[in-house]
Amino acid sequence: MPTVKKMMYVNRRAPHGTGYALEGLEVVLIGTAFEQEVCMAFIGDGVYQIMQGQDTRAAGMKNFSPTYKALGDYDVTRLYVEQESLSERGLSVDDLMPLTYEDEDDDWAEKPSVQVIVRKELSQIMAAQDVLFNF
Amino acid sequence: MKFSVMVNEGPYNHQASDSAYHFTKAVLQAGHEVFRVFFYHDGVNNGTRLTTPPQDDRNVVARWSELAVEHKVDLVVCVAAAQRRGIADADEAKRNGKNADNIAEGFRISGLGQLIEAGIVSDRLVEFGD
Amino acid sequence: MAIELNGKTYETDEEGYLADLSQWDEEVANHMASEDDCELGDEHWEVINFLREYYEEYQIAPAVRILTKAIGKKMGKDKGNSKYLYSLFPYGPAKQACKYGGLPKPTGCV
Repeated sequence: MPTVKKMMYVNRRAPHGTGYALEGLEVVLIGTAFEQEVCMAFIGDGVYQIMQGQDTRAAGMKNFSPTYKALGDYDVTRLYVEQESLSERGLSVDDLMPLTYEDEDDDWAEKPSVQVIVRKELSQIMAAQDVLFNF
Repeated sequence: MKFSVMVNEGPYNHQASDSAYHFTKAVLQAGHEVFRVFFYHDGVNNGTRLTTPPQDDRNVVARWSELAVEHKVDLVVCVAAAQRRGIADADEAKRNGKNADNIAEGFRISGLGQLIEAGIVSDRLVEFGD
Repeated sequence: MAIELNGKTYETDEEGYLADLSQWDEEVANHMASEDDCELGDEHWEVINFLREYYEEYQIAPAVRILTKAIGKKMGKDKGNSKYLYSLFPYGPAKQACKYGGLPKPTGCV
């Protein structure tokens, strides 16, 4: 029986100012092939990664924000967004993409992947992980 | 204990790669195992043999190469990050139609699965970055 | 490298992937397939069109297991397996179908 570890991908940066967000997302997608217990966290400027209505045309960069919508297909179903990080930036959950997954154990019912939680709760979840990847 | 190390920044601009090197060396000196060092993001720039630092400073790339040769440390450069930044071995150069390769001794180019595997099999994955 | 077809020039890389994805059309897809001794039938096009739609929506080509699952869901279990996809694209559905479909070359990750 192969080891199954709890892995969290922590996203701390805005999507297009640096390459960390895009390359971080690539790790998440590839990582799903290993069938570990994965989740993602969005903290600080990382919350901007899953903002609705991103348009990168003027910046001449690829808009990879639609790729977050594929996470459900890849069985990445827990996306924790820190409440304080949203509030500090004047954002609410309504500013984020309505990301969902289909629950195999519940007749493929569509369910939200994004969970907005407070810092204290996120830190508890973080502490329970075996591996953290920071981007 | 079994360690793996992830390096996310290039040499000379950022301390991360120096710290990762010293950490890796200390781990080995303390008698632990280093399963893999994985270079990602700008960290892939640690793996080009074309760097020519001035003689009065450390040679970051050569230092990694020596570590790989002396201690058989597995130094892996992420292929996708390497393609973006122009780090290639002979196979990659051929596959992508480039007329040169630049991978340094002791490094190899492979996929992101190597990073996930390192996370799974190591007791600790220690990340050095910004 | 380039493909010359019907008076148009399609720049490609070493492995025959289109350099400019916006140039893609069905003619160049058929041409690339014929170069590999492969004739694109309805079943190939079903997969290629699915990949193109997936890319349009998510900006990535899906991993093979995701493709398999999604094809099975959309077109039935007899098509949602890697045996079927490899029978259509013997060089690997990710590489070959992405090439004909005018999607980016897989990086060779995993």
